[in-house]
Amino acid sequence: MTSNFKTWPVTLLLAVLSLPIVIMFAYLIVDTVTDTTAGSLIPDRFTLEHWRFLFEPPQTGRADIWAVTLNTFLFAGSTSLIVVSVSVTSGYALSRLNMPFRKFFLGGVLTLHAFPTVTLIIAIFLMLQMTGLYNTLIGVILVKTALELPFGIWIMKGFYDTVPWEIEMAGIADGADRFTVWRKLVLPQVHPGLAALGLFSFLSAWSEFILPQVLAPDGASQVLSTYMQNLIKDDRAPDFNLFKSVGLFYALPVMTIYLIFNQKLMNIYGGGTKG
Amino acid sequence: MRRAHLLGLGFMAPALLIVCLFFLAPVIMTAVFSFTNMSSGTGISGGAYEVTEKTVRRLPEHGFPEAKAEMLAQDVYRIDPAGLTALGAGYGKALADEVGKSLSGKTFNGRRDLERALKKMKARPRSIREIKVAADLFKRSVLNTRYETEDAFVAAITDLDLKLDTSERALLSKVAYTGWTWTTENYELIATLPSTLRAAANTLTYVGFTLAFNVGFGLFLALATFYLPGAQAATFRAIWILPRILPPVIYIMMWKWLTWDTGFISSFLSNFDVTPRNWMLHSDINAWVSIVLINGFVGASLGMILFSSALRAIPSSMLYASEVDGASRLQQIWYIILPQLRWPILFTTAYQTLSLLTSFDYIYLSTDGGPGSSTEVWALYTFHTALNNYGGALQYGLGAALALVLVVIGIAASLVYLRLFNFDKLVAKPRIEQ
Repeated sequence: MTSNFKTWPVTLLLAVLSLPIVIMFAYLIVDTVTDTTAGSLIPDRFTLEHWRFLFEPPQTGRADIWAVTLNTFLFAGSTSLIVVSVSVTSGYALSRLNMPFRKFFLGGVLTLHAFPTVTLIIAIFLMLQMTGLYNTLIGVILVKTALELPFGIWIMKGFYDTVPWEIEMAGIADGADRFTVWRKLVLPQVHPGLAALGLFSFLSAWSEFILPQVLAPDGASQVLSTYMQNLIKDDRAPDFNLFKSVGLFYALPVMTIYLIFNQKLMNIYGGGTKG
Repeated sequence: MRRAHLLGLGFMAPALLIVCLFFLAPVIMTAVFSFTNMSSGTGISGGAYEVTEKTVRRLPEHGFPEAKAEMLAQDVYRIDPAGLTALGAGYGKALADEVGKSLSGKTFNGRRDLERALKKMKARPRSIREIKVAADLFKRSVLNTRYETEDAFVAAITDLDLKLDTSERALLSKVAYTGWTWTTENYELIATLPSTLRAAANTLTYVGFTLAFNVGFGLFLALATFYLPGAQAATFRAIWILPRILPPVIYIMMWKWLTWDTGFISSFLSNFDVTPRNWMLHSDINAWVSIVLINGFVGASLGMILFSSALRAIPSSMLYASEVDGASRLQQIWYIILPQLRWPILFTTAYQTLSLLTSFDYIYLSTDGGPGSSTEVWALYTFHTALNNYGGALQYGLGAALALVLVVIGIAASLVYLRLFNFDKLVAKPRIEQ
């Protein structure tokens, strides 16, 4: 396209509007390795002491960061694994297979989006307490998986929808049954979709806060989000340099995954579930 | 049933199982809980019957005769056959016979009176301590005693001989019950409490402003990055994707740092003689602006992504043609682009209305409904009521009723959307019939 307009006013306007985010993010990184005198805006001293939490708990009574990180990995990893393995079959069934109640299932998957955390969490909280899964990582994993599942099924159905029917028809014509066709011919076509969904559910669980906070608040099953919020909430001495260091540590995997798999994730973020 | 049907249902089975356990069951349970007065005070399993000081104080409020309520609270000692038998077993038949003969049927208020009477007995136990223990055998008070069943409780009450009529006894059982009971009170509360009305009004404000910001600003970002040269566009896209990919806890922490009274804005403005203050919670207006911006930045990233991909789908020949005809950028946007973005905009609006209605994590983390409860939206109010209450008992029942309102709105809205977005096209029949 020809540029029949001046770009600089738009750029300037965008730059001004983006300023809060740029400032917040720049200071998020800079403040983890510097000290700033109170009331000043410019950091004046380089230091690595804010990263001491990697080796010893920042305050007495806090859990070890590595145990918490392991928990978070277990939580996000298992959630992602279950979501992907359940969605991969259900998505295919909804996209391609004739079965009773198909229309009802599809409508159901879409309607389940209308049940966000708050509408279910009270009942789930009481159910977990009754079954003894309260305060365990397993309980949170199951609940997060269930909440993520309608979205995963929907996305997988979308990926299956793009696979040409001709592939399947050719397989059937050659005498394979539907299961073999799915496993040998269709599944390889949706590998990118599986990877993207896996990453997306991993990130979603990694960032999840409300569920672990309500369903597993105690020390042993803490994840990074609740660990960090407890640190911030305990306002005896708000130390933003420490918060930012822990925050950056917590956000690094997210940003790394995002930088590497940008394009893959973009497809999915478009239909994401956050406000 | 044909084989393909079985395969389909088999493929769906794991998902159906999880959905039944963690969606259908909780929704049904929410509906059930909403008709109870379950709270952290009543516990979630069954309760017992117990008269406590608090029960005694509350009884007159329910129309129970005050005099009788006070009698409930007293330590009553009565010499009855059951007590005498116990006394005989513990301290010998002589003492039991003697007490039976002189005191049978008498009632003492307080242990001291009874002890005094017991001390006059010839066959009395030697030590004072033993007399106290012996006196306790005649204690006929229900205060602070747990009864597992209603029958046991009624028997104990009858034993007290308070001369209660049937309705008074029923009332007493009801008030003394510590477990949860069935009730429709929650819905009456929702209809009458001023705080629910306030939460509803806050929700409308929140959804209205944030939605306008999300769609408007998202559209602006998408259009601006669409027209800017590649490198600039990529930079701004990368910046604006950040709010969406950062975990909420970190994102809010950054906002707190920006707005707290020792934070960036205060430090920056102190150069211009503005008193440092908490820019997030200083006043209602501050809190509302923060909430809308915090949620709006996240929503605008989503809008940007959706609208950008819709923009790329517009055939570029149309844009070139309009330029040849001499259209300015604004005319191009107004006459060519916006009409083609009608569906993405409608979809984003519909989708975000629903998710904003029920989202509360960013508000919970940032203002937590404050200052006061001026930014407490319905979802957060529900959460506070049932699960995160500083001031007292967690009211699961009332919370469930509040959540159920959201469920009903959610289902109604999705049904409308399914109609609006051409559901029948999505369920095109599979082409292989087998």
